[in-house]
Amino acid sequence: MMKRDFPALLLYTFGFLLLWEWLRPVEQLTATGNIETFIVFLLISFALSFLQMKWVWQGIVKVLFILFSINRFYYDEGFFKFSWLMSFVRDLVNNISLLFARQWNDLSNEFRTLLFFILLWLMVYLIHYWLINRQRIFIFFFMTLVYITILDTFTLYSANAAIVRTVVIGFAVMGMLTYYRITRKEKVNSTPSFLKKWMVPVAGMIAISVLIGIASPKAAPIWPDPVPYFTAAKDNGGKDGNGGISRIGYGANDERLGGPFIGDNNPVFTVKANGKNYWKVETKDEYTGKGWIPSGATPITFMEGYLTPVYGIPNKVKTINESATVSFNNNSLSNTFLVYPAGIQKILQVEPQAPQPYTFQFDSTKEKITAISNGISSYQVEFGVPKYKALDLRETTAYDPSSINAEFYQRYTQLPEQLPPRIKELTEEITAGKNNWFDKARAVESYFGNTEYTYDQKKVALPGEQDDYVDQFLFDTKQGYCDNFSTSMAVMLRTIGIPTRWVKGFTGGDFMEYSGEEDSKGIYQITNNNAHSWVEVFLPNQGWVPFEPTKGFTNEIRIDYTTGQTSSNDQTPPPAPQKKPQQKDLEETSKPKNEEKSFDFNKLWNNFQLFLKNNWKLIMLVIILLAGMARIFYWIRGKWFPYVLMLRYRFKNKDESFGAAYLVLLNQLDRFGIKRKNNQTLRSYASYIDSFYSTREMTRLTNLYEQYIYHQQLPKGTWKENYKLWKNLIKRTIA
Amino acid sequence: MSYEQMNPTIEKILANIEKVMIGKRNVAELSLVALLAGGHVLLEDVPGVGKTMMVRALAKSVNAGFSRIQFTPDLLPSDVTGVSIYNPREMEFQFRPGPLMGNIILADEINRTSPKTQSALLEGMEEASITIDGVTHKLNKPFFVMATQNPIEYEGTYPLPEAQLDRFLLKMKMGYPDLDEEIEVLNRAQKVPPIEDLHPVVDLEGLLALQKEIKDVFVDQTIKRYIVDIVNRTRTHGSVYLGASPRGSIALMKAAQAYSYMYGRDYVLPDDIQYLAPFVLSHRIILKSEAKFEGISAEEVVNRVVARVPVPVRRFVK
Repeated sequence: MMKRDFPALLLYTFGFLLLWEWLRPVEQLTATGNIETFIVFLLISFALSFLQMKWVWQGIVKVLFILFSINRFYYDEGFFKFSWLMSFVRDLVNNISLLFARQWNDLSNEFRTLLFFILLWLMVYLIHYWLINRQRIFIFFFMTLVYITILDTFTLYSANAAIVRTVVIGFAVMGMLTYYRITRKEKVNSTPSFLKKWMVPVAGMIAISVLIGIASPKAAPIWPDPVPYFTAAKDNGGKDGNGGISRIGYGANDERLGGPFIGDNNPVFTVKANGKNYWKVETKDEYTGKGWIPSGATPITFMEGYLTPVYGIPNKVKTINESATVSFNNNSLSNTFLVYPAGIQKILQVEPQAPQPYTFQFDSTKEKITAISNGISSYQVEFGVPKYKALDLRETTAYDPSSINAEFYQRYTQLPEQLPPRIKELTEEITAGKNNWFDKARAVESYFGNTEYTYDQKKVALPGEQDDYVDQFLFDTKQGYCDNFSTSMAVMLRTIGIPTRWVKGFTGGDFMEYSGEEDSKGIYQITNNNAHSWVEVFLPNQGWVPFEPTKGFTNEIRIDYTTGQTSSNDQTPPPAPQKKPQQKDLEETSKPKNEEKSFDFNKLWNNFQLFLKNNWKLIMLVIILLAGMARIFYWIRGKWFPYVLMLRYRFKNKDESFGAAYLVLLNQLDRFGIKRKNNQTLRSYASYIDSFYSTREMTRLTNLYEQYIYHQQLPKGTWKENYKLWKNLIKRTIA
Repeated sequence: MSYEQMNPTIEKILANIEKVMIGKRNVAELSLVALLAGGHVLLEDVPGVGKTMMVRALAKSVNAGFSRIQFTPDLLPSDVTGVSIYNPREMEFQFRPGPLMGNIILADEINRTSPKTQSALLEGMEEASITIDGVTHKLNKPFFVMATQNPIEYEGTYPLPEAQLDRFLLKMKMGYPDLDEEIEVLNRAQKVPPIEDLHPVVDLEGLLALQKEIKDVFVDQTIKRYIVDIVNRTRTHGSVYLGASPRGSIALMKAAQAYSYMYGRDYVLPDDIQYLAPFVLSHRIILKSEAKFEGISAEEVVNRVVARVPVPVRRFVK
């Protein structure tokens, strides 16, 4: 047991400081207030532990402190009034039941504080145990370092000073503990002067290593600082978890776009239709600089079987009537919204069948159709596939108040005030030379085909407080997914006065099979991975025309470039299932795959030779490295080879292996440095080994072996019985 | 595992000897080895170190007849073997057995007598029988000779020829007791010699049975090879004029068997061979004159040979 002397005080202080390092980021990164109270708690706990007060008293003091703190934080009544305690106990009981119900989020602050206190209590005990009983702290020290570095990497917390502090404290504490361990092991009576003599070089070494660490050049980070992504997440944190890593899928909140997300293959709905098309859910019109919000809400209701109040395609545009059946894979989505294709006319045959036609709610601002009654499993939509004429599309060249309602125009060309002007400059540059809206939109759309921009789901930034979402993507990060592309295009076009809106929905999904009943129709499955966003541009004479700026996606609208009035459009088959526009499947990655398929062995051989020729230096280096590693491995074989042997002989049951095992042991001892002379009998060697290790094991084993080789007999089961003996001896040869 | 547990009978015999002999357990052990292996011992030592006492104690322990022959230059072979004397009453020659007809014989200062007498003794030792006046007389069984030789006084001695030394299984030295032991000797000398109080541990039949059992002690092929290796090396050693004969190999093996048996083992270890080799082999080799001049002894040569031969540690596989 440790005495209550100065070194012990030092140890406790170090322990306290190390634990404090865990609390510092908590203060900075979470909403935890009054961190001083917790630190005081730590101080008290360590002090009590150091004073070696009886555990009962320690407990009482700590409990009183905890209660007092909770009272001070959460209750206005005085500490000595009984009433608050009662309500606290009630709260406790409540929270414990919440714990069992696994409703972590509903836990009250009082309870959380209590839990935190208990955690600290445990930690203090653990550190006390590590420091005084085990006299080992490395794991805790290491964990502290890991904790700090992770926080430094992924959060705002800057651990520059914390790392230095932790290293200094950790090394000092480990140095002291090593001293104690050694003195205990060697049974030396340690005097304070010993410790001083020990600590002086330790302090010197720590100082030197810290100085070297600070002074030495540091390698640049190998990946870009992820903090900006998370910063925004943190700023947003608490309000709505739309930041950070999200899961792909359809979400209603687009106030803050950006940030990476992960894929989700869960199917959402299946569609039976003549070919693929995009499925709309809603549109948004107001760009905030960070994301999209609807400018208002204008609910309308309509009935199953009637014309839907969705902004239709003008009569000028020819349409082909189509129908498709949508079936939801589970009812959860149908409760919130319906998906529909562009040019929707009617919703029919809603399942499950009800005596009365279904009623739907429609928000004409968002163009979102919501089912009023729950549990729709499938429905049929009738829609007209528009066939635009190039001439008509190109007709609009400028804003004309006579054809577009001013309020409408203003709504769809809205931009935030602080939108950086360089977006407009870029757009003008791109659209220079185009005189009509359609061509301008096309130019911007194809601008994103530029190799500068890459599609990526993971390395996507969240704009900081001062950043504009579009600006950041266009000029800084240049990598992102559909939201980046579509928002950028919509905003860019608005800067030059073209009304646009941002559309959310799903892509056409994957072709599964041909439906049995109607051969021409195929079954398509749409998963959460198909969630998508794109742009619609308003052309006064054509309505909302969709555009697809996202790399790797296509949503071809049918355009008739001929100038004649009649065309063979009617015979045009519905668009063949397009190449799967899988979101993850980038063009870049799909190309090498095709090449791979067409290899032959000759080519492989040539490639191999080429590889050798090009990389011989590298190969030599690798070989030299491998040889070096093998050499080192051989050098330190004393450390690992015995384990190999133990493993090898562990599962041998035959007594014959005893002889081999014994010889292996002789070899090992020889390698360890206790050589048997050639003329030395096994018995005298064994007694020498035994006196060396002060055991009897080798003699016992040797007697058996003597019987084995000089008498040609071995009792049955000898090896199994004596494996342990052998193992102990082999273990002793571990260098 | 009680390994170094001596054979209980032998343990008792040794305890008996120790009652009268102080220290010198190894000499007692080796004598017993020779007795058990059916061999004989040549003790090379000065008088007065307790040889007689030991042999008598040994004889008593196995309940055997003990006789002592003091060899002198004028001793005749018939003094050793016995003589046929004409008995006038019965009108025929009657054989009167000599001291050689005992079981355990102490042949004191064997090198003082003439070669003729020596050879009478040695013939008896080798053949276990003696021929007198054309009649062959079987010697008693067991038959054990402990001969002594005084290494100091060479005046008027007839050193045993090497061929005859071969007949002894072991040759050893007794040496003086150490200080404490000698004080203890004095203490004992004040009392009645305890030799009279010794009780036999086994009778002659028991001893013969022991001898028979010893023949069954297992000698592994590897051990035999080890023995032969050692003996062979004595023949090629630089200091050796004439090495040990195959009889030496046999002797080493037999001694090792007895020794193993003594230690309660039924198989021979290389340790036994290493321990016994100097006693078994040193009187069987003839050193070159140069080696003798250099002061190298036969024991040393044997020890060096043993140190040269690697101990077998792997199982013999045909």
